[in-house]
Amino acid sequence: MLKIENLHASVDGKKILKGINLTVKPGEVHAIMGPNGSGKSTLSNVIAGRDGYEVTAGSVLFHGQDLLAMEPEERAWAGVFLAFQYPVEIPGVNNVYLLKAGLNARRRHQGLEELDAMEFMQLVREKAKLVELDQTFLSRGVNEGFSGGEKKRNEIFQMAVLEPSLAILDETDSGLDIDALRVVAHGVNALRSPERSVVMVTHYQRLLDYIEPDVVHVLVDGQVLKSGDKSLALELEKRGYDWVREEANA
Amino acid sequence: MPKLADIRKEAWDAFEQVGLPTTRQEEWKYTSLARLGSVLGEAWWTPAAPTSLSVADIEAFAIPNLDAWRVVFADGRLVESASSLPEGASLTPLSELISTNGEQAATALQWQADAALFNATVAANSALAEDGLCLCIADGLKLARPVYMLHVNSNPGAAHLRHGLWLGSQAEAHVIEHYAGVNEESGLTHAVTLVHLGQGAQLSHDRLQDESLKQFHLGRLDVTQLRDSHFISHAVALGASLSRLDIAVDLSDTGAACTLNGLYMPTGRQHCDHHTQIDHRAAHCTSRENYRGVLDGRAHGVFNGKIVVHIGASGTDSAQSNANLLLSDKAEIDAKPELVIHHDDVKAAHGCTVGQLDDKQLFYLKSRGISEDQARQMLTFAFADEVLTGMGQLALRRFIERAAFSKLPLDMDAEALVT
Repeated sequence: MLKIENLHASVDGKKILKGINLTVKPGEVHAIMGPNGSGKSTLSNVIAGRDGYEVTAGSVLFHGQDLLAMEPEERAWAGVFLAFQYPVEIPGVNNVYLLKAGLNARRRHQGLEELDAMEFMQLVREKAKLVELDQTFLSRGVNEGFSGGEKKRNEIFQMAVLEPSLAILDETDSGLDIDALRVVAHGVNALRSPERSVVMVTHYQRLLDYIEPDVVHVLVDGQVLKSGDKSLALELEKRGYDWVREEANA
Repeated sequence: MPKLADIRKEAWDAFEQVGLPTTRQEEWKYTSLARLGSVLGEAWWTPAAPTSLSVADIEAFAIPNLDAWRVVFADGRLVESASSLPEGASLTPLSELISTNGEQAATALQWQADAALFNATVAANSALAEDGLCLCIADGLKLARPVYMLHVNSNPGAAHLRHGLWLGSQAEAHVIEHYAGVNEESGLTHAVTLVHLGQGAQLSHDRLQDESLKQFHLGRLDVTQLRDSHFISHAVALGASLSRLDIAVDLSDTGAACTLNGLYMPTGRQHCDHHTQIDHRAAHCTSRENYRGVLDGRAHGVFNGKIVVHIGASGTDSAQSNANLLLSDKAEIDAKPELVIHHDDVKAAHGCTVGQLDDKQLFYLKSRGISEDQARQMLTFAFADEVLTGMGQLALRRFIERAAFSKLPLDMDAEALVT
């Protein structure tokens, strides 16, 4: 589904990603862990297509397509979704309108019929229940006046409505209390399917108690230094990151 | 009270002595009325010919589904057959006052050379206005429906209008001034509205200027507020080749409050100027001002918001915000907040921004599958629409949204977008 090869990327001339290799198969859940400044968020942003990141080498293929050649909206139509670490507030743009426009744009590109207002509202209500998002949030401005936890929950709600084939969760667990974390994890788990993959970027093992990964990668200094199963996350929690670095240098 | 004829003559003399404002005056630095003379010649003060518009023609301009009393002026004159006047309130056309009762007309046509934002065109309006609406609302009376004043122009020449809105103590009303037109030749709409709010009175005043792109538009709102009264204004400027609106609010007694919201969206070669002045003369008065501009093409916008806090105005609470979105690099805005504070112990906040759309917001929308063009439109819409959120009448707000966004290349269901 997602194949990243030798990806190098810079921000303002500073090299952040230094040769990332990562393959995600359909249905898999991958966790990317690593210390601050290791390039986790840069990787998420490069996959989603944010401006300001210069890819200097390497490739990102999504279902065999060159993802890096696509605009952010084209990536969304192809099935990529980024749950933001810091979701932006957009006063005046209705939450539900945004989703309807986004979902129907994707359906058009898939050659599917657009959902009418009734079908769409039914879908939205069902998905809002999934992440226990109060109905009143639906008609508000995008993230307008939402608390940190509400914003994250709204991201997962959007993901549930848009049903991407690849979801990237950029530190979705940060700033969440245990109850909110449980709700968010429930939303993600409900979306797991043999066709859908998830890449979770996180600092903490805590999230992985709720969303069990198939593969855990350790990202240090812009490179994936080690990959393993979920027991690797537990080891990182106990021992920190230095031993991974030392092992790689040895 | 001096006689009407004397007031008219004195006003015209005063105007002749001073003439039209020029760009040498600070308050007219960015707006030249030279074209008024050069394009219109004598027509700028000569009344337009009686309208040739039928009632059906006029209806086509009206805001649909608006539950309101309607007063129609076409080419500067009341059209009774298209109007339905409110019961209970005293409402008299200025033309009738002029012909029957000199004294009341004199009140309506008064002008004061020392008024805030005064310029000689106000005196000219006193001299030349032939019609308008004089609305007196008795103490304690609350008008159940809005009064919708529709102004339509079709002929060259000038429509000098003078409106007076007098609300007694605790009276409440909602007045909508709507200016529209189909002029193929340039003309002038010149409308001065005097507002007087008695103790505890509340007036919601919406003003939509959507004239033909050939028209010149000069407008003025002169507001005096007594104790604990509240004035809420929404001023939207979309049309006209050149438009200027002056709003002067005098918070003259304790506890008076005003809220001024404005939206201007000049495109092409339109020139659009707003000057506001709020005078805090008494203690514990509140003013809130929020003006937003969306400018495209080679449009030129001007915003000048002056707040004056006079000696003795303890506990003044004032906040002003002006934000501008430039959609083209040829568009231009001259924005200037002005605070003049003569008293300590006051709160006066102001902010002014000029910029483009937010990249983070754009990326967020695109990452959800919204195309670049549509994302830009959504953000532009949201930026402008924020000013309209407090409007009482949904039909009016939707009408303004449609009119405003028909000026932009907008391909979406705008009504579903708004929050």
